[in-house]
Order: sequence, then structure tokens, then C-alpha cells
Amino acid sequence: MAVIKKFYLKSNRHSGTHIMSNGDGVVRATPSHLQALTAAALVLPGLLQSPAHAAEEDSVDFQYSHYQEGKRDISGFVSNLATQTESISKLPNNLNPIEVDSLHGSSRISLTDRIKFSFNYTQDTWSGATPVGTAPAIVRGNRARYNSTSTAVTGASPIAGEVTSFYLDKNSNILEVKTDPSTGELSPGSINNQLTHVLATASPETRKQGDFKLGYEWDEAAVDVGGGISIENDYESRFVNLGGRMDFNQKQTTVNLGLSYTNSDTFATLDADSLQFISTTSYEERFSDEQSGSFRFKGIEGSAGQIESTYDSLGRRSGAVLNGNRQDWGTQLGLTQVLNKDAVLELNMGYIRSTGFMANPYKLVYAFNFEALPEQDLSQPLLFIGQQARIEIRPDERNQFNWNLGYNQYIAPLDAALHFDYRFAHDDWGINAHTFEADWAQPIGSGWTVTPRVRYYSQSGADFYTPFLTILTTGYDTPALDSNGDAILDGDGNPVTNHIDTTKVPKYYSSDQRLSGFGALSGGVTVAKQFAKGVSLETGFEYYTHQGSLKIGGGGEQDFANYDYWVANAALKINLESIGAPGGHTGHSNHHHASNAPAGVMFDHALEKFGDVMVGYRFMRSEQAGNMLLGSQAVSQDTVRFNGCGDQECAVAPNFMAMNMHMLDLMVAPTDWLTLMLMPQWVDMEMDMTPLDNTPRGGHNHGGAAHDHQTGGIGDTGVYALFKLLEQSGHHINLSLGGTAPTGDVEVTLRKTVTNPIPGTLIHYGMQLGSGTWDFKPSLTYTGEIEQLSWGAQVTGTKRLESRNDANFAFGDIFQGSVWGGYQWTNWLTTTVRSAYTQQGAIHGKYRPLFDEFGNPFTPTHIGPFDTPANYGGQFVDLGLGINVTVPNGAFAGNTLKFEWLQPLHTDYNGYQLDRDGALSATWSIGF
Amino acid sequence: MTPNHPALIFVLVSTLTACAPVQPWQRGNLAKPQMASDPYPLQSSLRAHNYGSREAASGSNSAQGGGCGCY
Repeated sequence: MAVIKKFYLKSNRHSGTHIMSNGDGVVRATPSHLQALTAAALVLPGLLQSPAHAAEEDSVDFQYSHYQEGKRDISGFVSNLATQTESISKLPNNLNPIEVDSLHGSSRISLTDRIKFSFNYTQDTWSGATPVGTAPAIVRGNRARYNSTSTAVTGASPIAGEVTSFYLDKNSNILEVKTDPSTGELSPGSINNQLTHVLATASPETRKQGDFKLGYEWDEAAVDVGGGISIENDYESRFVNLGGRMDFNQKQTTVNLGLSYTNSDTFATLDADSLQFISTTSYEERFSDEQSGSFRFKGIEGSAGQIESTYDSLGRRSGAVLNGNRQDWGTQLGLTQVLNKDAVLELNMGYIRSTGFMANPYKLVYAFNFEALPEQDLSQPLLFIGQQARIEIRPDERNQFNWNLGYNQYIAPLDAALHFDYRFAHDDWGINAHTFEADWAQPIGSGWTVTPRVRYYSQSGADFYTPFLTILTTGYDTPALDSNGDAILDGDGNPVTNHIDTTKVPKYYSSDQRLSGFGALSGGVTVAKQFAKGVSLETGFEYYTHQGSLKIGGGGEQDFANYDYWVANAALKINLESIGAPGGHTGHSNHHHASNAPAGVMFDHALEKFGDVMVGYRFMRSEQAGNMLLGSQAVSQDTVRFNGCGDQECAVAPNFMAMNMHMLDLMVAPTDWLTLMLMPQWVDMEMDMTPLDNTPRGGHNHGGAAHDHQTGGIGDTGVYALFKLLEQSGHHINLSLGGTAPTGDVEVTLRKTVTNPIPGTLIHYGMQLGSGTWDFKPSLTYTGEIEQLSWGAQVTGTKRLESRNDANFAFGDIFQGSVWGGYQWTNWLTTTVRSAYTQQGAIHGKYRPLFDEFGNPFTPTHIGPFDTPANYGGQFVDLGLGINVTVPNGAFAGNTLKFEWLQPLHTDYNGYQLDRDGALSATWSIGF
Repeated sequence: MTPNHPALIFVLVSTLTACAPVQPWQRGNLAKPQMASDPYPLQSSLRAHNYGSREAASGSNSAQGGGCGCY
């Protein structure tokens, strides 16, 4: 705020304006002065910032979003039993399309008047089916599945490996292959140019990103430095950036300069099931033999990616990891100009240079070969035979340039703003892209703003984009000559010939639709509501359609590649400066006592009086690692293998499990004695497994390979009412009644693999995102305090209100009792000790039986102890050590941070489970 | 096609020279939240991430992370 004052006074002097008589805002309250003051209040934020510079006030923001793609079209042959013929048609696509759940939290705080710090955390979890490659529909990349009487098509099986053949004529038409029934001779049939994607599914995966920015601001300039890291199980990216801003001409002109560097590693485990069928020919490869331990090496000059493969005793590739490193340097120059009192113009240009491995390690290009004889008439249709699909390969260098023009116009009669943006991007891969974007921000009173927007994007394809590869193998034999120019003869006196291969295979190829020519049209709306006290809510929706025919000038990809998606998001924004304003939190210091329970305790704190609001964020992480336990005794892997999975043998056992939970606490007091709470939550989980059976299974020992599973997304949503049963000096009793609604998914599935051959196999019970049942969660809490001492006790329970959820099971009920004590060392620091006893029942019910595509019952064999309902729950005793920090005064008064580590003292599991390592709870809250 | 540099420069020069000075107290409209260069930065970064992982012209000029987007 001090910056505002400084600048205000300065500009006051410069302009000689009489709006305010002094910097404290004390004016004589005549009507004209009042008007002037109102006008000045409007102007104030505009003076703080140059127009290029967003209103960076201290704030805490949360956002959740859901991305949902529509199902892709796939085509293949469908048989007609009646006519004994088959024809190409659209196949039912039973695979769930890509969906992504994202969670974003950010905080921006002023360390001093001039030093600003901001931090962002983002996590995305995605799953679903995506194209691995493209092929002519007639080559049987998708095989139709029929019902038991073969009268109806029920689905499609993608074939990632070798496909069949087609004829290609000199005009690049694709012709069916006709077989003469009597002679078996092949000949060109009718033209069918239909292409189709071949899809593959992915089990859920999670990406996490943390980044920060530290800035220093002068009155008319700023510099900032930032950095961060993004982590996935197959990709890791680290980045730093540097930015500067200078204002000129009384802040009517602003110049921005930015420089950035990103270093990213890919370490992609290639799909073990399709390793037999894919070609790694374009990549450098290092082979190691599992049996002998010997190495071989295939060098490729300038290969940006390297494959490390292992082979089994039968000489088959049993595992492969594609590694690559990529670096990006980016620079950007921007100019913002105030055109007049209602319009601002922005110009930007940027350059990004990328080097290294830029391919998508999971995308394949189907390849077809024709071997031409010397006398071949190449103008006739040629029969191209399906080869192994190749892993795509892209150039190891890319230079991108972009130019951006932005225009902001205030529409006075409607108090609205029109934003328009045009962007042009050009790179040396042959891609030129245009983006047009416009939105209209319309305030409609009472703090509401509605912003519709529309966007159009068009790009030309990359030079090396190709839906599939056709390779014409040509060559000729020439007599081998010695150094004297005489023919060389072999032992029998016949001349020796050399074969000269003139086959041209492109150096780079990709069938990724992101590199094809296409256009995209999207539109949406954002609705924002600004509440008093600095809290605002935003929600948005956008629909996006990608179509080859929308490309500017035509010539885009066929419509087999079309798809669409929608995204919905909701955000909560808390402006700490508005909350901290005088009068915003009167009487706050009176109820600090109530928040001195440890971080792991919920429902201990009711709001003090009518109208109070509290916003908080709660994070919990629990880890399991170490020994497998039966009850409280460590057991050997063999014991787990033969006893841990009921009647069956366990194939794997967990060696590490972690669960993270992010929760928002939103509390309001509609009366003095009642507090209502809403607690949305997000969870993500990971589990690493070790094989219990090390013998290779035929060519596919994926079942025995160490691997991991991840899930994540929106969890169950809590709704509670807190009643104050007793409020005396030093003693408080609260009763909380409420529970959770089953908003978390309990039908998360694993991708189909050799070890999970049935599509729709549900992931382990413990890695589902919610309980799936409506749960009643009462709790009774007593807290007390005398001077520096505080203490409390709580009993809380979870009662499942349904016996089965949609996935046909219910988690066990939970009871927890805990007691704690705390000591306040200073007015801002308290430490706590807690003891907790928890009891949880085993799972009731179990997943429904699985059936294979022929309707026969299927029993999964790739299982672990976590697939048995009896191996859940138990009795636990924990010791909690905690620190509570409350900011007593200053700009951040009323902010409370708490941390608690929960150390297991005693574990007595139901059945076979992995030992507990401990749990961390951290909370942040602010009341106003 | 290549960008039309002369046109851009013309727009730039003509607009800059056409600017009458806008005094600080005349900037009330420019300071309104709806006139911010990016009124919804949270949502913008989300949209940029979606576009960036679906289109070849990657959105951001500076390093923002964003991961592989290899799906």
C-alpha cells in the first residue's frame, strides 16, 4: 500500500490536481469533494500499476478444473453374415476418452513493500485412450468385436503391431486388396481412402509442478527471477526465468523483457505388450542380454533419443526405455501502450529455440513397404505390405518465432471491456499458426462479471507429418569391379554383383495430429462474483473442436482426426490485503485460543459469532513402506505370496504407498451458535510394487516387472454443521454433525495389458478416489486453556450409510479418539503433543466378477494383497508432534499455519498390509 | 506465409504518435478490473496449458513448465 501512496503523492504534485488535500485521504466532506474522492479511489489502483502489469496484490488462490475429451471415431472392417461380405464402417469405441483433473494453488505475498514472492503448485491426473498411430482403415488396425451370435458389433480391438497390406496408385489413392478365390492371386480392388486412428489407453498418471517467482519493484520498474520443476513418472522438466519491466512516459508506455531456460528429460518405458511389434530402427539402441549380461550397441549419428533394451533368453525384447534430453531457450520482448483513456495496445514478440529429443515416445507411425523390381512399372498400383510400426522421430532442433497483438477497449456505455488478440507463430518445422481471440468482460452489478469469449486457431502441418509411411524399396545390381576395373569372379567363375539400394526413408516422421494441418474453434464463458471482504469466486466453461476442415485455406487433415473437448473450472480467490484492511477482522485476537489444536485435528474450532467467515487449506500426506505385516508381525515375501491373496497366489506386493489429500475448509457462521462447513477435497495416490514371482512368463514377464500405479482427482465432499454445546471461560465443547457425499470416483480402471487383459479392470480398492458411499461423520470435541497451556480431547467416527457403492463394496467404519496438549511459547508459537487411537473395519463386499470378450468368467492373476477386501483396516496408535504459528499483527494478522507429524507407535492390521511410515498434516487458515 | 513486418511497424508508429497524453487521474477506466490485461490469470494459465498440449504453436514465451503432455 505504501507504494500507492508514494506514487499518488508524486503524481499529485506533478499534475497539481486538487482531488485530495493530503496523502491520508482527509478531505472536507462537501458534495463535490465526495465525488472527487470517489473518482480518486477509482484511479488509485491504476496508478499502482502500469497497464501491462496485473494487479498483484497479496492473495491466495485455488482452482480446480476438469478436462473431458469426446470419444474419437475409429473405423475398420465389419462383416455382414447374411451377405458374407465385409465393408469399412465406423466401429463402436468403448474406450474412455482422455480426461484430466487439475488442481492449482497459488499464493502471492509482499515480503516488504518492494519485494514480492509468489508460489504456485499444480497437479494434473489424467487417464484414457489416445491415438498411438494412424493407418488406412482397410489394413485392419482396428478389429471389430462381435456379440456372441456375431450379429452385432460391440467394440473394437486396436492392433498396435503389424497390419496388413493395400495398393497405392500413382495418385496416392488407397485400393483394397482383392484375392482371387481359385488362384490366390492378389490384385487391386476398389478405392477406399478412409484413414483411422488406432487407440491405446493409459492408466491414470499424475504430474506435479511447483514454481516460484521473486520480484523487486521500483516505482517505474521491476525485475523478477523465477524457477520451478515439473515431475511425471516419465518426464521431468526444470526451468528458470528472468524478467524485467520499465515504465516510461508517466506509465503510459511499458516495456517488458523476458528470458527463460528449460531443461527436460524423457525416460519413457515403452509398452511391454507391443515391444515385439514395434520398430526402433531410427533410434540409437543399447541392448543388454538378461541371461549373459552382455551388451550390444546400435549407433545412430545425431540420435536425440536413446533406447535401452533388455532381451530375454528367447532373443525377444522384454523391456525398453526411451531416454532423451531437451533444452529450450526463450526470449520475449513486449510493449504496452496506453492509447487513450479507454484503450490499451499490447505488442509482443518472442523467439524459442529448442534442441534435443522432442518426439512423443508413445506415438507410432505405421510403415508399409513395396519392393520394386528393376523392370517394375511404377505407374501401376503397387502392393504395399505392412511392416513393424515405427516409433516416431522428429528433428532435434526447432526455432519458433511468434508475434502477438493485443487490444483492450473500454466500452463506456456498458461499463464493459473488449479484449482482442491476434497471434502469429512460425517455425522451421514448416508450421505457421494464426490465433484470433476475443472476449467481452461485462460487469452486471452486485459484484458479478460475465465474460463470453471466442477463439479460432489454424495451423499448417509440419513438413514431416505423415499419417503413415510408404516406403518404395528400389535398387539395382551392378557388376563388382576390382581396382583395375575388371570384373570380380567368384569361386565358380561367375561375376560378382553389388546391390545398390536407392530406397529413401524420410529422416523424420510423425503421425501426431498436433503436427497436422487443422483448425480449431472454441468458445466459452467465465462468470465471476466478487464478494465483500476480498473473496471472489470464478467459474468457467469452454468447448473446443479440432477439425481438419477448419484450417485456413483448406488442405487440413481428413476428418478421421477430428475430436472435441470441454473444460470446466472453478476458482476461489482470497485477497489478503482486502481482508487485512482495518475493520475487516475486528475481535480476531479474542478467539485465537480455539485454533490451538494440532493440525491433524478437525472440527475443533467453531466460528465466534454471526457473520464470521473462515477460509482454510488442509494438506495431508501419509506414507507406507518397509515390511509387509500380518496383524502386527513382519512376514516374508513368500508368506505374502502364498497366503496374502485368499485362495490365489499373489503376483506382486506393495513396497511403497503414498496418499496426498488437499482440502479446502470454507466456514461461515449463520448464527452465533452454529458454524456451517463445506470441505471439497482432492486426492492422489501412488503405489510401487515388487514382483513376488521372478520366473519369466513366456515372452511377457511384465507381470514380474517392478512397476507402479497412480490415481488422482476429485475426492468426496464434506458438509458439516458445528454446534457450540458449551462455551465457558477456559472450556468449550463442540458437536459436529455431517458427512461426505460420494463425489470421488470409485470406478478407476487399469489400462488393458497382457497382465490386465480385460478392459475395465478396476484398480485396487485403496487407490479409488472416494468411498463411493454417503458417510456420516459425527465428532465431539472438548478444548480448554489456562494461560499458556491448552488441551483437548476428541472422539470422531465414520459410519457408512450404504452397504455397497457403485463398485459393489464399502469401506469399513472408522472410530478415532485422541487427546492432546499444547504450550504457547510466545504470542505466535505453540507446540503440541497428541496421542490418537484409530480403529477401522475391513472392506465389505467386493468388485463384481470380470468376463472376457466371449462372456466367460475371468479371474485376474496379476494381483496383490491390496486386491483382497479382508486386507484393509486395523487398529492403530499414533503419537503426534505439532507446531502452530499464528501471525499476531501486521499485514498478515489472523493467518495461522500448523504442522503435525503423526508417528505410528503401534499397528495391528486386518490381514496382510504394508507397514506404516507416518503422516504429515499441514493447514493454513485465515478468519475475517 | 511470412509476417507482414511493415504493416506491424506502421500500426505501431501510427498509434504511438497518435497518443495524446493520458493523465494519471484520467485512467479510472483503464484501472477497472475488466480492463486488466488478463482479468482471469488462473483460468488463462489453464487454457494456455490445454492449447499448448493440443496445438503445435506452443503458447508461452517464457518457461512455465507444463510437462510433456504426451497423451
